[in-house]
Amino acid sequence: MSGLRVAWAAARLELQLMARDRLFVALTILAAVSFVAMVSLFGLTGSRAPMALIDEDGGPQAKAFVSAMDRAHHSFRLRPMSRQEADALLAQGRLVGSITIPAGFSERVTKGQTVALDVRLDNVNVDLSNDVQRALPAAIVIFGRESGFPGLRAQVEEHDVVNHDTEYIPYLAVSALALDAFVVAAALGALAVAREWEGRTLKFWQMSPARPASLLAGKLLATGAVSAAALVAAVAFIGLVFGVWPVAPFALAGTLLACVVIFGCVGAWLGSVLRRTAPVVPLAFGLVLPLYMDSGALEPTRFDGDPIWIIAHGTPLYYAVGVLEWAFHGLQVTPEPILVDMAVLVGFAVAAVLATRGALRRSRA
Amino acid sequence: MRAIWAVAALDLSVWLRSRWAVAAALLPPLGMAVLVGLLTVSVGQQPVALVVEGRGQLASRLATLYEQDEDAYLLSVLDRRTAEQALRDQRVAAVILIPADFDERARSGDGRVVLELNNVDIDVSDDIRRAAARSVAELDAPQLGLLGELHGPTEGILLPSPYRIAIAERDLRDTNVEFLQYQVVPILIMVVIGVGTLSSATLAARERERGTTRLLLMAPPRRAALVAGKLLGGLLATAAVLVPLLVIGAAAGVLSPPLAHWPALLALLAATAAMASGLGILIGLAVRRPRVVTMLSLNTAIVLFFLGGGFTTVAFMPDWLQALSGLVPTSYAIDALRQALFYPDLLGFGRDLAVICGFAVVSAGLGTAALARSLGRA
Repeated sequence: MSGLRVAWAAARLELQLMARDRLFVALTILAAVSFVAMVSLFGLTGSRAPMALIDEDGGPQAKAFVSAMDRAHHSFRLRPMSRQEADALLAQGRLVGSITIPAGFSERVTKGQTVALDVRLDNVNVDLSNDVQRALPAAIVIFGRESGFPGLRAQVEEHDVVNHDTEYIPYLAVSALALDAFVVAAALGALAVAREWEGRTLKFWQMSPARPASLLAGKLLATGAVSAAALVAAVAFIGLVFGVWPVAPFALAGTLLACVVIFGCVGAWLGSVLRRTAPVVPLAFGLVLPLYMDSGALEPTRFDGDPIWIIAHGTPLYYAVGVLEWAFHGLQVTPEPILVDMAVLVGFAVAAVLATRGALRRSRA
Repeated sequence: MRAIWAVAALDLSVWLRSRWAVAAALLPPLGMAVLVGLLTVSVGQQPVALVVEGRGQLASRLATLYEQDEDAYLLSVLDRRTAEQALRDQRVAAVILIPADFDERARSGDGRVVLELNNVDIDVSDDIRRAAARSVAELDAPQLGLLGELHGPTEGILLPSPYRIAIAERDLRDTNVEFLQYQVVPILIMVVIGVGTLSSATLAARERERGTTRLLLMAPPRRAALVAGKLLGGLLATAAVLVPLLVIGAAAGVLSPPLAHWPALLALLAATAAMASGLGILIGLAVRRPRVVTMLSLNTAIVLFFLGGGFTTVAFMPDWLQALSGLVPTSYAIDALRQALFYPDLLGFGRDLAVICGFAVVSAGLGTAALARSLGRA
């Protein structure tokens, strides 16, 4: 019997089985796709700390300073309000802090006097506190320079490696695609194999004249197709919600395809180890979260120091995130060239296929 | 009471013997905890190279300011060539160059600090921009440094500043909470929700799938006792996981609320567990198949965790999402947990606990009603 015909038949059967398990497949895809949305929530805390603005002056210098704060490196989301309202929201943890521009600010600044701003800070989170404590002097520098005050001796002259800033949420959402690929492809791949154990149908593989490798290939072809469809949905979500579309669509397609192959094979191996379908997705989630962090999802892994960067090379997620950020935003987030990242991904895919064949042989033995 | 306890103890022992079920409930929160632990490496200090080519007093003073800002940078003082190579290799995110003519130009008000920035990541970039600007501000206005903010105008010391603005900072708390502690603690809530939901859902589904519901009905205890026992079983399953975590957290100093806050904390966790158990029973009765039950419980726990502000700060969310978060019980649980752990008083805690208890009454009520009805139909 031709291997291709066997694989095709196995793929069709797997698709029928998945169709009967629609709810599980849909929930797996939903869990992965919703993670893109959830990760973007984390991106919100990267900038624009919600601060109450109590402007008791309202004069031109006060307005100029408020404008400087608005332009101080995406630091503040200023909400004008009264003192009482600010105190109430601060106590409820709905604000990071409040800034009060006192009455007489404009007049005194114009006369060359120094005015103290009252800043109240909810320092419950040291990261948020540090951002605000650095941002205020940065805003003051902008204000001082633009006002042309005498006695200012120095300023920062910035040269950027990339000619534009990429907003943090689109950056995060793209890297979350790699996590999506892991969860969906691994879960469906594991389900396809574990079901054979749970249903005690693996023995029929041994009795069948067809080669087990062809049967497995067919199953993984089906799960891969469904995974690919889920990833297309995730890409569409990113495009429609965040307005971000890939600048290199073929590289994107190739990367996601490699991820589906790699993680589908990883899933098949997991399924042969677990031999149960229920813990598959929680295990995939539990494993992928720390791997995701070490893949450069939040920032280039190289910035995190040698140990973390070296460990990251052990997972395909590192290379996948590298290519994905380049494919969407044209950013190079790994020191290795993009072609090297792509080549290593292909290598991982080949290794995953060989490892799965080996695991299958050992399972039967 | 004996009947209730017997049913609960049986469910607990069944669940504890299902190693895969326990693993399925624990792995996502544990993975999330490791994720957050690694996250602390990403936030905070950024790797930056400092190149000091200026030999004058001002250049030296500015270099010292950069070197002293240990919260902002992992600073390496390098020569220009090595620094630029490090930037190309991504070993540093930025190079701060104090050029040779800095002092001369500064005397005419045009001193330039050159910041060469790898701005692939805007979060890292903005951190560096803010910090670099602050050090420049401190050169001309020392009171704009952190010590000046905290101990200057707030203590009545207002020095003249060429920028004409000083900052009088008042912090709400005596000490900052470390980022790791702040982020890891809500994972307790995720554990409670995940384990409570999954254990109750799995056990409820199991009875239906195996057809043992009729055997339960034939037993002497009344239906109400069976239902109460099921709910208690879910609570005990959650406690079996949660109590060791609380002990470990307290011993490690991660969980160190004021002593008087411990009863409130335990009440909060118990109410959250009751809510999760009721929800789990509903899921288990609605879905029945084990792997779908697992998936739905996992999805529910993750959505509740994220929308509740477990991975982000609710204040940063858009208004519509904050409104949605207000409908999610976990937002109250996480708020109350942080209040109990990180604040000296329990302001707002009573309201949050009342809301959680309300959700618990509703979900437990619905869950037990559904279970009682399914027992009646068995």
